[in-house]
Amino acid sequence: MYGISAIALEKTYGSFRAVDSLTFNVKSGDIFGLIGPNGAGKTTTMRMLCGTLSPTAGKTIVGGFDIAKESIKIKTIIGFLPESTGFYNWMNGEEYLYYFARLYNIKEPIARKNIRDLLDRVGLAAKAFAPIAYYSRGMKQRLALARAMINDPKILFLDEPTLGMDPRGQQEIQKMLLDLNHEKGVTIFLSSHALTDVSTFCNQIGILNRGRLIAHGSLNDLRKLVNGSTRILVRILNTQEAISKLSRSPFNNTIDKVTEESVDFIISDDNIEFNQLVDWIRKENFKLTELRQIKMNLDEIFLRLTNPTYDKHSTPVTIKKSPSPQVGQTPSK
Amino acid sequence: MIIYRLEISGSIYSWRGAAWIITAASIFSLVAYLLLTDKELSLLDQGEMLFTFSEVIIVLGLVMSGINSSSSISTEIEAGTFECLLLTPIKHVQIAIQKMLSTVTIWIVLYLISIPYLIVLANGTNLAISAILYVGLYGTLLSIAISTISIALSWMLKTSKNSIMVALMIVLLLSAPSLFFATSLRKTDFGIMLENINPFSHTINSLDSVLVDNQQAVYEQFTHIWPVLVFTIICSIIFLTFTRKFEVKML
Repeated sequence: MYGISAIALEKTYGSFRAVDSLTFNVKSGDIFGLIGPNGAGKTTTMRMLCGTLSPTAGKTIVGGFDIAKESIKIKTIIGFLPESTGFYNWMNGEEYLYYFARLYNIKEPIARKNIRDLLDRVGLAAKAFAPIAYYSRGMKQRLALARAMINDPKILFLDEPTLGMDPRGQQEIQKMLLDLNHEKGVTIFLSSHALTDVSTFCNQIGILNRGRLIAHGSLNDLRKLVNGSTRILVRILNTQEAISKLSRSPFNNTIDKVTEESVDFIISDDNIEFNQLVDWIRKENFKLTELRQIKMNLDEIFLRLTNPTYDKHSTPVTIKKSPSPQVGQTPSK
Repeated sequence: MIIYRLEISGSIYSWRGAAWIITAASIFSLVAYLLLTDKELSLLDQGEMLFTFSEVIIVLGLVMSGINSSSSISTEIEAGTFECLLLTPIKHVQIAIQKMLSTVTIWIVLYLISIPYLIVLANGTNLAISAILYVGLYGTLLSIAISTISIALSWMLKTSKNSIMVALMIVLLLSAPSLFFATSLRKTDFGIMLENINPFSHTINSLDSVLVDNQQAVYEQFTHIWPVLVFTIICSIIFLTFTRKFEVKML
């Protein structure tokens, strides 16, 4: 019911196409992370979804309402934390939230109660009556987040929600948002450059590049898309012949790290069979110390998909076999 | 009316608000003192004194309305608070109307401060009520006109510096023919045409007619009232047209 749909959404500024034919669906209760390089169109997309920017073409349905026709209704059910929020610095945190509560037409007793709860949730209860001018960057971000939630939104749009916060603050906010999602089923649409957070926090991820959605799905779907699902790290004892033997391996392998004691190499081959690999290790008489599968993380997926030379419609990117280093030479990583 | 209340609390109830109120009262006191005690000015007819004082009130009102309203939106845009306002379920035009009303309220406060001075200057004549009513009427109409056009400018230009400059130029453009043009220039065809289309000139001519020539009946001033009214309506239409939808793309 409180999902988000974008249908062929476009935004152009003169000849510059900031957002190009964007089509996606976010189901009610999902946590969707939109990632992309700087200038990819993330903020423009969020603003169009929230109704503060009109699309040049296309349609957006938020919480079942068409933003072109019912933007006021949408604004009652959404909360938006813009990337850079200004404040009325002469107010204190409590006054600031009360001002917005009144703009949402929330009755005074309810507003006061909600404000107390929110300030407590975002960790600002102790500073509720201090002027905003004295708040730190992280505290202001917490206050902005509280403001975005003042109307008890069903859909929350967050543009860089943990920007400027210390690691503990980031964790607290993530936990709070997860609780909100689990307890109240709030749909969360966030944009962030903190890819580790996005990969752990979001169940759906979209990658935007130059205004186009180049990938959309769960983390596993994205891994499959870049053909990087199977990578195996093998650690063997470093012997005199180890590296030369590796250069003759039948697998697509890359030497990852060489120390006096060990050699790490990564095998990237979707069709590899474990038995075959173990047989080869035995045959070559390697002293195996570690063997594990490595899952591609979101940073790698992101870098690969947003690489200008990558084209998902042509040959999928695979890890190339590295040139064989000479015995005794430590290859650069 | 939450936005209106916030604006008013900043402009009237705070110490910053007190600063302009005290300044305005000081200007009125100084002008009234000069009119009553200066060797040459005190020789003026009492009606002319009232007329001069009324001009000061109207010009001060126009300048304050222009500055206050032209910065009302753009300062929020520059401070980054405007996007949050646009995210609330309030129509954009309602935000603009509340900002406009706060400027008109400032004019009303200024006008209320000026009333005791008008009464003192009109002492002993039958002009006090007419002065109060006509200054109130013209001042309010012109304040609405300048506020609406300045907010539309602020909405379009999005920067305080530019919108204040343009608003002040509009005020200057309106007041220049009456305040700065020589009488000979005002009597040329060009001068007459300017006076006929300029709402500020109509205001000044009407106050002159009421306070100096003692033509106090409304029907006698109707030829001056309607051009000011039309100007206010035109400015309001421009205001309503431009403030219907605000885009954050240039923020």
